Amino acid sequence: MTPVLELRNVSKSFGGLQALSDVSFTVEAKEIFAIIGPNGAGKTTLFNCVAGAMAPTAGQIRLDGHRIDGRRPHEVCRRGLARTFQIVKPFRGMTVLENVKVAAFLHHRTARAAEAAAEAVLERIGMHDVAYVDAEELNVAQLRRLEIARALATRPKLLLLDEMLAGLTATEAAEMCDRIRQLPSEGIAVIVVEHSIPVISRLCPRAVVLTFGKVLLEGPTRDVIADPRTQEAYLGSAPS
Amino acid sequence: MSNLRTSAFVAALVLTAFLAASGDPYFMDIFILTCFFGTLAVCWNMMAGLTGLMSLGHPLFVGIGAYSVAWGASAHGLPPLVTWPLGIALSVAAAAVIGMLCFRYGLRGYFFAIATLAFNEVAFFAVSASVALGRSDGIILPTSPDDSPFHLQFFERWPYGLIIGTILIGVVSAGELLMRSRTGYYWRALRDNEEAAEALGVHARAYKLWCFMFTAGVAGLCGSFYANYVAFVDPRSVLGIDLSVQMLVYSIIGGMSLLWGPLVGAVILVPFSVVLRGITPIPGGDLIVYAVLLAVLALVLPQGIAGWFIARRQRRKIRRRGDEAPGVAS
Repeated sequence: MTPVLELRNVSKSFGGLQALSDVSFTVEAKEIFAIIGPNGAGKTTLFNCVAGAMAPTAGQIRLDGHRIDGRRPHEVCRRGLARTFQIVKPFRGMTVLENVKVAAFLHHRTARAAEAAAEAVLERIGMHDVAYVDAEELNVAQLRRLEIARALATRPKLLLLDEMLAGLTATEAAEMCDRIRQLPSEGIAVIVVEHSIPVISRLCPRAVVLTFGKVLLEGPTRDVIADPRTQEAYLGSAPS
Repeated sequence: MSNLRTSAFVAALVLTAFLAASGDPYFMDIFILTCFFGTLAVCWNMMAGLTGLMSLGHPLFVGIGAYSVAWGASAHGLPPLVTWPLGIALSVAAAAVIGMLCFRYGLRGYFFAIATLAFNEVAFFAVSASVALGRSDGIILPTSPDDSPFHLQFFERWPYGLIIGTILIGVVSAGELLMRSRTGYYWRALRDNEEAAEALGVHARAYKLWCFMFTAGVAGLCGSFYANYVAFVDPRSVLGIDLSVQMLVYSIIGGMSLLWGPLVGAVILVPFSVVLRGITPIPGGDLIVYAVLLAVLALVLPQGIAGWFIARRQRRKIRRRGDEAPGVAS
Protein backbone atom coordinates (compact mmCIF):
# COMPACT_ATOMS: atom_id res chain seq x y z
CA MET A 1 0.00 0.00 0.00
CA THR A 2 1.34 3.45 -0.93
CA PRO A 3 2.10 5.59 2.11
CA VAL A 4 0.16 8.84 2.24
CA LEU A 5 3.41 10.78 2.73
CA GLU A 6 6.93 9.74 1.88
CA LEU A 7 10.06 11.81 2.44
CA ARG A 8 13.29 10.69 0.80
CA ASN A 9 16.53 12.39 1.81
CA VAL A 10 14.94 15.81 2.14
CA SER A 11 17.43 18.60 2.82
CA LYS A 12 16.98 22.32 3.20
CA SER A 13 19.68 24.92 3.66
CA PHE A 14 19.53 28.67 4.13
CA GLY A 15 22.88 29.90 2.85
CA GLY A 16 25.43 28.24 5.12
CA LEU A 17 22.85 26.97 7.61
CA GLN A 18 21.72 23.36 7.11
CA ALA A 19 18.18 23.36 8.53
CA LEU A 20 17.30 19.83 7.33
CA SER A 21 19.67 17.10 6.36
CA ASP A 22 18.67 13.85 4.61
CA VAL A 23 15.33 13.54 6.38
CA SER A 24 13.48 10.36 5.38
CA PHE A 25 10.34 8.78 6.82
CA THR A 26 6.89 7.63 5.74
CA VAL A 27 3.40 8.21 7.10
CA GLU A 28 0.71 5.63 6.41
CA ALA A 29 -2.92 6.40 5.60
CA LYS A 30 -5.18 7.05 8.62
CA GLU A 31 -2.20 7.24 10.95
CA ILE A 32 -1.45 9.83 13.62
CA PHE A 33 2.26 10.48 13.44
CA ALA A 34 4.34 12.79 15.61
CA ILE A 35 7.39 14.88 14.85
CA ILE A 36 9.20 15.79 18.03
CA GLY A 37 12.43 17.52 18.81
CA PRO A 38 13.86 20.44 20.76
CA ASN A 39 13.48 24.05 19.64
CA GLY A 40 15.42 24.73 16.44
CA ALA A 41 15.42 21.06 15.42
CA GLY A 42 13.84 21.92 12.05
CA LYS A 43 10.26 20.78 12.68
CA THR A 44 8.57 23.90 11.29
CA THR A 45 11.01 24.03 8.35
CA LEU A 46 10.07 20.43 7.59
CA PHE A 47 6.37 21.37 7.78
CA ASN A 48 6.96 24.28 5.45
CA CYS A 49 8.79 22.05 2.94
CA VAL A 50 6.01 19.45 2.99
CA ALA A 51 3.24 22.08 2.70
CA GLY A 52 4.95 23.89 -0.16
CA ALA A 53 5.75 27.11 1.70
CA MET A 54 9.45 26.33 1.07
CA ALA A 55 11.12 24.24 -1.61
CA PRO A 56 13.57 21.66 -0.29
CA THR A 57 17.16 22.04 -1.49
CA ALA A 58 17.38 18.30 -2.20
CA GLY A 59 15.32 15.14 -1.87
CA GLN A 60 11.82 14.06 -2.76
CA ILE A 61 8.46 14.47 -1.05
CA ARG A 62 5.58 12.29 -2.27
CA LEU A 63 1.94 12.69 -1.31
CA ASP A 64 -0.09 9.61 -2.18
CA GLY A 65 2.65 8.62 -4.64
CA HIS A 66 2.76 12.03 -6.40
CA ARG A 67 5.79 14.25 -6.06
CA ILE A 68 4.96 17.54 -4.34
CA ASP A 69 8.43 18.90 -3.53
CA GLY A 70 8.83 22.37 -4.98
CA ARG A 71 5.09 22.73 -5.61
CA ARG A 72 3.33 25.91 -4.44
CA PRO A 73 1.14 25.65 -1.29
CA HIS A 74 -2.15 25.90 -3.23
CA GLU A 75 -1.08 23.01 -5.50
CA VAL A 76 -0.11 20.88 -2.50
CA CYS A 77 -3.47 21.68 -0.90
CA ARG A 78 -5.30 20.64 -4.06
CA ARG A 79 -3.43 17.31 -3.92
CA GLY A 80 -4.96 16.68 -0.49
CA LEU A 81 -2.66 18.17 2.13
CA ALA A 82 -3.89 20.76 4.60
CA ARG A 83 -2.06 22.45 7.42
CA THR A 84 -2.57 24.61 10.47
CA PHE A 85 -0.15 27.26 11.69
CA GLN A 86 1.79 27.52 14.92
CA ILE A 87 0.68 31.16 15.13
CA VAL A 88 -3.00 31.17 14.14
CA LYS A 89 -3.81 32.99 10.92
CA PRO A 90 -7.55 33.63 10.74
CA PHE A 91 -9.08 35.91 8.11
CA ARG A 92 -9.91 38.61 10.63
CA GLY A 93 -12.22 40.59 8.37
CA MET A 94 -14.58 37.60 8.00
CA THR A 95 -16.96 35.61 10.17
CA VAL A 96 -16.18 32.05 11.26
CA LEU A 97 -18.48 30.68 8.54
CA GLU A 98 -16.84 32.82 5.86
CA ASN A 99 -13.40 31.66 6.99
CA VAL A 100 -14.41 28.04 6.46
CA LYS A 101 -16.24 28.92 3.23
CA VAL A 102 -12.95 30.12 1.70
CA ALA A 103 -11.58 26.61 2.22
CA ALA A 104 -14.81 24.93 1.06
CA PHE A 105 -14.62 26.76 -2.28
CA LEU A 106 -11.77 24.39 -3.19
CA HIS A 107 -14.34 21.68 -3.98
CA HIS A 108 -17.49 23.75 -4.55
CA ARG A 109 -18.04 26.25 -7.32
CA THR A 110 -21.13 28.04 -6.05
CA ALA A 111 -21.37 30.13 -2.88
CA ARG A 112 -24.45 28.18 -1.76
CA ALA A 113 -22.73 24.79 -2.03
CA ALA A 114 -19.61 26.12 -0.30
CA GLU A 115 -21.72 27.54 2.52
CA ALA A 116 -23.52 24.23 3.02
CA ALA A 117 -20.19 22.41 3.14
CA ALA A 118 -18.73 24.97 5.55
CA GLU A 119 -21.77 24.66 7.84
CA ALA A 120 -21.39 20.88 7.85
CA VAL A 121 -17.73 21.17 8.87
CA LEU A 122 -18.56 23.66 11.64
CA GLU A 123 -21.25 21.30 12.93
CA ARG A 124 -18.72 18.43 12.90
CA ILE A 125 -16.10 20.46 14.76
CA GLY A 126 -18.62 21.89 17.23
CA MET A 127 -18.40 25.51 16.13
CA HIS A 128 -21.85 25.99 14.59
CA ASP A 129 -22.88 28.21 17.51
CA VAL A 130 -20.23 30.79 16.59
CA ALA A 131 -20.65 30.53 12.80
CA TYR A 132 -21.71 34.17 12.44
CA VAL A 133 -19.23 35.59 14.94
CA ASP A 134 -16.38 37.66 13.52
CA ALA A 135 -13.12 35.72 13.59
CA GLU A 136 -11.38 38.52 15.46
CA GLU A 137 -13.73 38.02 18.41
CA LEU A 138 -12.70 34.39 19.01
CA ASN A 139 -10.50 33.25 21.88
CA VAL A 140 -7.35 31.14 21.39
CA ALA A 141 -9.10 27.77 21.70
CA GLN A 142 -11.77 28.79 19.20
CA LEU A 143 -9.15 30.13 16.81
CA ARG A 144 -7.28 26.82 16.96
CA ARG A 145 -10.52 24.95 16.22
CA LEU A 146 -11.22 27.35 13.37
CA GLU A 147 -7.82 26.47 11.89
CA ILE A 148 -8.77 22.78 11.98
CA ALA A 149 -12.24 23.50 10.55
CA ARG A 150 -10.75 25.40 7.61
CA ALA A 151 -8.23 22.64 6.98
CA LEU A 152 -10.96 19.96 7.09
CA ALA A 153 -13.10 21.92 4.63
CA THR A 154 -10.42 21.31 1.98
CA ARG A 155 -11.11 17.55 2.40
CA PRO A 156 -7.50 16.56 3.08
CA LYS A 157 -5.92 13.10 3.01
CA LEU A 158 -3.19 14.39 5.29
CA LEU A 159 -3.41 17.09 7.93
CA LEU A 160 -0.35 18.82 9.39
CA LEU A 161 -0.95 20.23 12.87
CA ASP A 162 1.72 22.63 14.07
CA GLU A 163 1.62 23.00 17.88
CA MET A 164 -2.16 22.93 18.04
CA LEU A 165 -2.23 22.79 21.83
CA ALA A 166 -0.13 25.89 22.42
CA GLY A 167 -1.98 28.37 24.63
CA LEU A 168 -4.83 25.99 25.50
CA THR A 169 -5.94 25.07 29.02
CA ALA A 170 -5.79 21.39 30.10
CA THR A 171 -9.53 20.94 29.39
CA GLU A 172 -9.31 22.61 25.98
CA ALA A 173 -6.23 20.54 25.12
CA ALA A 174 -8.04 17.32 26.08
CA GLU A 175 -11.01 18.30 23.87
CA MET A 176 -8.67 19.08 21.01
CA CYS A 177 -6.93 15.70 21.42
CA ASP A 178 -10.30 13.94 21.27
CA ARG A 179 -11.07 15.70 17.99
CA ILE A 180 -7.68 14.84 16.54
CA ARG A 181 -8.12 11.19 17.57
CA GLN A 182 -11.35 10.99 15.53
CA LEU A 183 -9.71 12.13 12.29
CA PRO A 184 -8.24 8.75 11.16
CA SER A 185 -11.75 7.24 11.29
CA GLU A 186 -12.72 9.91 8.73
CA GLY A 187 -9.91 8.73 6.43
CA ILE A 188 -7.45 11.48 7.35
CA ALA A 189 -3.83 10.90 8.32
CA VAL A 190 -2.40 13.42 10.79
CA ILE A 191 1.11 14.66 11.48
CA VAL A 192 1.46 16.42 14.80
CA VAL A 193 4.25 18.70 15.93
CA GLU A 194 3.94 19.15 19.66
CA HIS A 195 6.16 19.87 22.64
CA SER A 196 4.07 18.08 25.24
CA ILE A 197 5.54 14.56 25.46
CA PRO A 198 2.63 13.12 27.54
CA VAL A 199 0.18 14.32 24.88
CA ILE A 200 2.30 12.88 22.07
CA SER A 201 2.61 9.52 23.77
CA ARG A 202 -1.17 9.29 24.26
CA LEU A 203 -2.12 10.58 20.82
CA CYS A 204 0.46 9.20 18.36
CA PRO A 205 1.40 5.52 17.99
CA ARG A 206 4.50 6.40 15.95
CA ALA A 207 6.97 9.29 16.05
CA VAL A 208 10.18 10.61 14.59
CA VAL A 209 12.72 12.64 16.57
CA LEU A 210 14.47 15.48 14.80
CA THR A 211 17.56 17.16 16.12
CA PHE A 212 19.77 19.65 14.31
CA GLY A 213 17.76 18.97 11.15
CA LYS A 214 18.47 15.24 11.15
CA VAL A 215 16.36 12.21 12.00
CA LEU A 216 17.64 10.91 15.29
CA LEU A 217 15.13 8.12 15.83
CA GLU A 218 11.93 6.77 14.30
CA GLY A 219 9.57 4.16 15.69
CA PRO A 220 6.83 3.51 18.24
CA THR A 221 6.36 6.64 20.32
CA ARG A 222 6.88 5.03 23.72
CA ASP A 223 10.22 3.51 22.60
CA VAL A 224 11.34 6.74 20.97
CA ILE A 225 10.54 8.80 24.05
CA ALA A 226 12.17 6.31 26.41
CA ASP A 227 15.38 6.27 24.38
CA PRO A 228 18.25 8.06 26.17
CA ARG A 229 19.25 9.74 22.90
CA THR A 230 15.89 11.56 22.81
CA GLN A 231 16.33 12.73 26.37
CA GLU A 232 19.83 13.86 25.55
CA ALA A 233 18.55 15.78 22.51
CA TYR A 234 16.05 17.63 24.72
CA LEU A 235 18.08 18.07 27.87
CA GLY A 236 21.68 17.83 26.68
CA SER A 237 24.21 15.26 27.88
CA ALA A 238 24.69 14.80 31.60
CA PRO A 239 27.88 16.39 32.98
CA SER A 240 30.55 13.78 33.66
CA MET B 1 -32.43 40.22 -6.51
CA SER B 2 -31.73 39.79 -2.81
CA ASN B 3 -28.17 39.06 -3.85
CA LEU B 4 -27.87 42.49 -5.46
CA ARG B 5 -29.22 44.71 -2.69
CA THR B 6 -26.40 47.24 -2.90
CA SER B 7 -26.63 47.45 -6.69
CA ALA B 8 -30.40 47.96 -6.54
CA PHE B 9 -29.96 50.73 -3.98
CA VAL B 10 -27.18 52.37 -6.04
CA ALA B 11 -29.31 52.10 -9.21
CA ALA B 12 -32.25 53.80 -7.48
CA LEU B 13 -29.97 56.51 -6.12
CA VAL B 14 -28.31 57.12 -9.50
CA LEU B 15 -31.65 57.26 -11.28
CA THR B 16 -33.08 59.73 -8.75
CA ALA B 17 -29.98 61.94 -8.90
CA PHE B 18 -29.98 61.77 -12.71
CA LEU B 19 -33.62 62.86 -12.91
CA ALA B 20 -33.03 65.62 -10.38
CA ALA B 21 -29.97 66.93 -12.27
CA SER B 22 -31.33 66.55 -15.79
CA GLY B 23 -32.91 70.01 -15.85
CA ASP B 24 -29.68 71.93 -15.29
CA PRO B 25 -26.32 71.40 -17.09
CA TYR B 26 -24.41 72.60 -13.99
CA PHE B 27 -25.98 69.97 -11.77
CA MET B 28 -25.66 67.40 -14.55
CA ASP B 29 -21.91 68.11 -14.69
CA ILE B 30 -21.70 67.52 -10.94
CA PHE B 31 -23.69 64.29 -11.35
CA ILE B 32 -21.36 63.12 -14.14
CA LEU B 33 -18.19 63.92 -12.19
CA THR B 34 -19.59 62.20 -9.09
CA CYS B 35 -20.41 59.05 -11.07
CA PHE B 36 -17.02 59.16 -12.83
CA PHE B 37 -14.98 59.47 -9.63
CA GLY B 38 -17.36 57.14 -7.79
CA THR B 39 -16.79 54.41 -10.41
CA LEU B 40 -13.03 54.91 -10.30
CA ALA B 41 -12.93 54.89 -6.50
CA VAL B 42 -15.11 51.74 -6.26
CA CYS B 43 -12.90 49.85 -8.72
CA TRP B 44 -9.69 51.11 -7.07
CA ASN B 45 -11.00 50.05 -3.66
CA MET B 46 -11.74 46.55 -4.95
CA MET B 47 -7.97 46.27 -5.17
CA ALA B 48 -6.89 48.25 -2.12
CA GLY B 49 -9.67 47.76 0.41
CA LEU B 50 -11.01 44.36 -0.55
CA THR B 51 -7.92 42.55 -1.90
CA GLY B 52 -5.21 44.42 -0.02
CA LEU B 53 -3.30 45.63 -3.09
CA MET B 54 -2.56 49.34 -2.79
CA SER B 55 -2.09 50.50 -6.37
CA LEU B 56 -0.93 54.04 -7.07
CA GLY B 57 -0.74 53.31 -10.78
CA HIS B 58 -4.41 53.23 -11.76
CA PRO B 59 -4.26 56.60 -13.59
CA LEU B 60 -2.10 54.74 -16.10
CA PHE B 61 -5.12 52.68 -17.11
CA VAL B 62 -7.41 55.72 -17.16
CA GLY B 63 -4.80 57.36 -19.40
CA ILE B 64 -4.59 54.35 -21.72
CA GLY B 65 -8.38 54.41 -22.15
CA ALA B 66 -8.51 58.16 -22.66
CA TYR B 67 -5.59 58.32 -25.07
CA SER B 68 -6.88 55.34 -27.09
CA VAL B 69 -10.09 57.26 -27.73
CA ALA B 70 -8.42 60.63 -28.32
CA TRP B 71 -5.64 59.32 -30.55
CA GLY B 72 -7.98 56.96 -32.42
CA ALA B 73 -10.45 59.76 -33.13
CA SER B 74 -7.97 62.53 -33.96
CA ALA B 75 -5.43 60.53 -35.97
CA HIS B 76 -7.63 57.90 -37.62
CA GLY B 77 -11.22 59.08 -37.20
CA LEU B 78 -12.11 55.90 -35.30
CA PRO B 79 -15.49 55.87 -33.55
CA PRO B 80 -15.96 54.98 -29.83
CA LEU B 81 -17.35 51.62 -30.95
CA VAL B 82 -13.76 50.74 -31.85
CA THR B 83 -11.71 52.91 -29.50
CA TRP B 84 -13.53 52.07 -26.25
CA PRO B 85 -12.94 48.28 -26.55
CA LEU B 86 -9.39 49.06 -27.71
CA GLY B 87 -8.77 51.27 -24.67
CA ILE B 88 -10.15 48.64 -22.29
CA ALA B 89 -8.18 45.83 -23.96
CA LEU B 90 -4.93 47.82 -23.82
CA SER B 91 -5.53 48.70 -20.15
CA VAL B 92 -6.13 45.06 -19.28
CA ALA B 93 -3.04 43.99 -21.27
CA ALA B 94 -0.87 46.61 -19.53
CA ALA B 95 -2.20 45.45 -16.14
CA ALA B 96 -1.42 41.84 -17.08
CA VAL B 97 2.22 42.70 -17.86
CA ILE B 98 2.74 44.95 -14.80
CA GLY B 99 0.86 42.55 -12.53
CA MET B 100 2.81 39.51 -13.69
CA LEU B 101 6.08 41.34 -13.03
CA CYS B 102 5.01 42.60 -9.59
CA PHE B 103 3.40 39.38 -8.38
CA ARG B 104 6.12 37.17 -9.86
CA TYR B 105 8.62 38.94 -7.60
CA GLY B 106 6.22 38.97 -4.64
CA LEU B 107 5.80 42.75 -4.34
CA ARG B 108 3.30 43.62 -1.62
CA GLY B 109 2.22 46.60 0.46
CA TYR B 110 4.30 49.73 0.00
CA PHE B 111 6.58 48.02 -2.54
CA PHE B 112 3.64 47.22 -4.80
CA ALA B 113 2.34 50.80 -4.41
CA ILE B 114 5.74 52.26 -5.35
CA ALA B 115 6.16 49.88 -8.31
CA THR B 116 2.76 50.79 -9.76
CA LEU B 117 3.44 54.48 -9.15
CA ALA B 118 6.73 54.12 -11.03
CA PHE B 119 5.00 52.57 -14.07
CA ASN B 120 2.48 55.42 -13.98
CA GLU B 121 5.20 58.07 -13.83
CA VAL B 122 7.10 56.47 -16.73
CA ALA B 123 3.90 56.61 -18.80
CA PHE B 124 3.29 60.23 -17.74
CA PHE B 125 6.70 61.38 -18.93
CA ALA B 126 6.62 59.19 -22.05
CA VAL B 127 3.26 60.65 -23.13
CA SER B 128 4.41 64.19 -22.23
CA ALA B 129 7.33 63.71 -24.63
CA SER B 130 5.41 61.96 -27.41
CA VAL B 131 4.66 64.13 -30.45
CA ALA B 132 2.03 61.66 -31.73
CA LEU B 133 0.13 62.02 -28.44
CA GLY B 134 0.29 65.82 -28.40
CA ARG B 135 3.10 66.02 -25.79
CA SER B 136 2.08 67.86 -22.61
CA ASP B 137 -0.40 70.01 -24.60
CA GLY B 138 -2.65 66.98 -25.02
CA ILE B 139 -5.10 66.05 -27.79
CA ILE B 140 -8.34 67.82 -28.69
CA LEU B 141 -10.92 65.42 -30.09
CA PRO B 142 -12.44 66.42 -33.45
CA THR B 143 -15.98 67.70 -32.93
CA SER B 144 -18.91 68.17 -35.28
CA PRO B 145 -21.43 71.04 -35.03
CA ASP B 146 -24.36 68.64 -34.64
CA ASP B 147 -25.06 65.82 -32.23
CA SER B 148 -23.37 62.62 -33.34
CA PRO B 149 -24.39 59.64 -31.19
CA PHE B 150 -22.08 57.39 -33.26
CA HIS B 151 -19.12 59.53 -32.09
CA LEU B 152 -20.66 60.10 -28.64
CA GLN B 153 -20.90 63.82 -29.25
CA PHE B 154 -23.88 65.54 -27.70
CA PHE B 155 -24.70 69.19 -27.19
CA GLU B 156 -26.70 68.33 -24.05
CA ARG B 157 -25.00 66.87 -20.94
CA TRP B 158 -27.66 64.33 -19.99
CA PRO B 159 -26.61 61.59 -22.51
CA TYR B 160 -23.17 61.59 -20.86
CA GLY B 161 -24.89 61.36 -17.49
CA LEU B 162 -26.88 58.39 -18.72
CA ILE B 163 -23.71 56.65 -19.95
CA ILE B 164 -21.61 57.17 -16.81
CA GLY B 165 -24.59 56.40 -14.56
CA THR B 166 -25.04 53.09 -16.37
CA ILE B 167 -21.30 52.38 -16.08
CA LEU B 168 -21.43 53.05 -12.32
CA ILE B 169 -24.42 50.76 -11.80
CA GLY B 170 -22.76 48.08 -13.97
CA VAL B 171 -19.48 48.27 -12.04
CA VAL B 172 -21.20 48.14 -8.63
CA SER B 173 -23.36 45.18 -9.78
CA ALA B 174 -20.35 43.32 -11.20
CA GLY B 175 -18.41 44.11 -8.02
CA GLU B 176 -21.22 42.86 -5.81
CA LEU B 177 -21.57 39.64 -7.79
CA LEU B 178 -17.81 39.11 -7.67
CA MET B 179 -17.57 39.79 -3.94
CA ARG B 180 -20.30 37.20 -3.25
CA SER B 181 -18.62 34.59 -5.44
CA ARG B 182 -15.57 32.41 -4.89
CA THR B 183 -13.41 35.17 -6.41
CA GLY B 184 -14.56 37.74 -3.85
CA TYR B 185 -13.98 35.38 -0.94
CA TYR B 186 -10.50 34.59 -2.25
CA TRP B 187 -9.70 38.30 -2.68
CA ARG B 188 -10.72 39.05 0.91
CA ALA B 189 -8.79 36.04 2.17
CA LEU B 190 -5.68 37.29 0.34
CA ARG B 191 -6.16 40.70 1.94
CA ASP B 192 -6.42 39.23 5.43
CA ASN B 193 -3.66 36.63 5.22
CA GLU B 194 -2.02 35.54 2.00
CA GLU B 195 -0.07 32.65 3.53
CA ALA B 196 -3.19 31.13 5.10
CA ALA B 197 -5.17 31.64 1.88
CA GLU B 198 -2.53 29.82 -0.18
CA ALA B 199 -2.50 26.97 2.32
CA LEU B 200 -6.27 26.59 1.68
CA GLY B 201 -5.79 26.19 -2.08
CA VAL B 202 -6.01 29.83 -3.22
CA HIS B 203 -3.78 30.53 -6.21
CA ALA B 204 -2.64 33.88 -4.82
CA ARG B 205 -0.78 35.14 -7.89
CA ALA B 206 -3.62 34.32 -10.30
CA TYR B 207 -6.33 35.89 -8.15
CA LYS B 208 -4.33 39.04 -7.49
CA LEU B 209 -3.61 39.36 -11.20
CA TRP B 210 -7.30 38.85 -12.02
CA CYS B 211 -8.23 41.65 -9.61
CA PHE B 212 -5.59 43.97 -11.06
CA MET B 213 -6.73 43.26 -14.63
CA PHE B 214 -10.43 43.64 -13.83
CA THR B 215 -10.00 46.99 -12.09
CA ALA B 216 -7.62 48.17 -14.82
CA GLY B 217 -10.31 47.36 -17.39
CA VAL B 218 -12.84 49.47 -15.46
CA ALA B 219 -10.31 52.32 -15.17
CA GLY B 220 -9.72 52.07 -18.95
CA LEU B 221 -13.48 52.26 -19.50
CA CYS B 222 -13.68 55.39 -17.31
CA GLY B 223 -10.76 56.92 -19.24
CA SER B 224 -12.53 56.23 -22.55
CA PHE B 225 -15.66 57.93 -21.24
CA TYR B 226 -13.66 60.90 -19.95
CA ALA B 227 -12.08 61.50 -23.40
CA ASN B 228 -15.46 61.62 -25.12
CA TYR B 229 -17.07 63.68 -22.34
CA VAL B 230 -14.40 66.39 -22.08
CA ALA B 231 -13.25 66.03 -25.74
CA PHE B 232 -9.73 66.80 -24.58
CA VAL B 233 -7.04 64.75 -22.86
CA ASP B 234 -3.64 65.76 -21.54
CA PRO B 235 -1.16 63.88 -19.34
CA ARG B 236 -1.96 65.93 -16.21
CA SER B 237 -5.69 65.21 -16.24
CA VAL B 238 -5.64 61.48 -17.02
CA LEU B 239 -2.18 60.28 -16.01
CA GLY B 240 -1.41 62.58 -13.08
CA ILE B 241 -0.83 61.42 -9.54
CA ASP B 242 -3.77 63.69 -8.52
CA LEU B 243 -6.14 61.06 -9.87
CA SER B 244 -4.60 58.40 -7.61
CA VAL B 245 -4.89 60.75 -4.64
CA GLN B 246 -8.56 61.38 -5.44
CA MET B 247 -9.35 57.65 -5.62
CA LEU B 248 -7.49 57.20 -2.33
CA VAL B 249 -9.25 60.10 -0.58
CA TYR B 250 -12.76 59.04 -1.66
CA SER B 251 -12.04 55.48 -0.54
CA ILE B 252 -10.55 56.45 2.82
CA ILE B 253 -13.30 58.94 3.64
CA GLY B 254 -16.06 56.65 2.37
CA GLY B 255 -14.59 53.56 3.99
CA MET B 256 -12.42 50.86 2.44
CA SER B 257 -14.01 47.82 4.03
CA LEU B 258 -17.14 47.81 1.87
CA LEU B 259 -17.72 47.81 -1.87
CA TRP B 260 -19.92 50.93 -1.69
CA GLY B 261 -17.76 52.84 0.80
CA PRO B 262 -15.76 54.82 -1.80
CA LEU B 263 -18.99 55.75 -3.59
CA VAL B 264 -20.19 57.43 -0.39
CA GLY B 265 -16.90 59.33 -0.28
CA ALA B 266 -17.34 60.49 -3.89
CA VAL B 267 -21.01 61.42 -3.38
CA ILE B 268 -20.06 63.68 -0.46
CA LEU B 269 -16.74 65.12 -1.61
CA VAL B 270 -17.13 65.63 -5.38
CA PRO B 271 -20.23 67.90 -5.23
CA PHE B 272 -18.78 69.61 -2.17
CA SER B 273 -15.50 70.49 -3.93
CA VAL B 274 -17.29 71.65 -7.12
CA VAL B 275 -19.77 73.84 -5.22
CA LEU B 276 -17.00 75.14 -2.97
CA ARG B 277 -14.93 76.17 -6.00
CA GLY B 278 -17.86 78.19 -7.27
CA ILE B 279 -18.61 80.06 -4.05
CA THR B 280 -15.17 80.72 -2.51
CA PRO B 281 -14.15 84.34 -3.12
CA ILE B 282 -10.42 83.86 -2.42
CA PRO B 283 -8.38 81.91 -5.02
CA GLY B 284 -7.37 78.59 -3.48
CA GLY B 285 -9.77 79.12 -0.58
CA ASP B 286 -11.83 76.13 -1.66
CA LEU B 287 -8.80 73.89 -1.29
CA ILE B 288 -8.22 75.11 2.27
CA VAL B 289 -11.84 74.43 3.24
CA TYR B 290 -11.71 71.06 1.47
CA ALA B 291 -8.52 70.10 3.30
CA VAL B 292 -10.03 71.10 6.66
CA LEU B 293 -13.10 68.96 5.92
CA LEU B 294 -10.90 65.98 5.04
CA ALA B 295 -8.90 66.42 8.25
CA VAL B 296 -12.09 66.63 10.33
CA LEU B 297 -13.59 63.55 8.65
CA ALA B 298 -10.35 61.62 9.10
CA LEU B 299 -10.30 62.54 12.81
CA VAL B 300 -13.98 61.92 13.51
CA LEU B 301 -14.41 58.82 11.33
CA PRO B 302 -10.96 57.21 11.07
CA GLN B 303 -12.43 54.03 9.51
CA GLY B 304 -14.46 56.01 6.99
CA ILE B 305 -18.20 56.40 6.77
CA ALA B 306 -18.76 52.75 5.80
CA GLY B 307 -16.42 51.71 8.62
CA TRP B 308 -18.56 53.70 11.04
CA PHE B 309 -21.67 51.86 9.77
CA ILE B 310 -19.99 48.49 10.25
CA ALA B 311 -18.76 49.37 13.74
CA ARG B 312 -22.29 50.49 14.67
CA ARG B 313 -23.77 47.27 13.30
CA GLN B 314 -21.21 45.21 15.22
CA ARG B 315 -21.90 47.07 18.46
CA ARG B 316 -25.62 46.34 18.03
CA LYS B 317 -24.89 42.69 17.24
CA ILE B 318 -22.68 42.30 20.32
CA ARG B 319 -25.28 44.01 22.49
CA ARG B 320 -28.02 41.74 21.13
CA ARG B 321 -25.87 38.66 21.62
CA GLY B 322 -25.02 39.82 25.13
CA ASP B 323 -28.71 40.05 25.93
CA GLU B 324 -29.49 36.63 24.45
CA ALA B 325 -26.52 34.46 25.42
CA PRO B 326 -23.77 36.13 27.42
CA GLY B 327 -20.25 34.91 26.69
CA VAL B 328 -20.85 33.07 23.41
CA ALA B 329 -17.46 34.05 22.08
CA SER B 330 -15.76 34.43 25.43
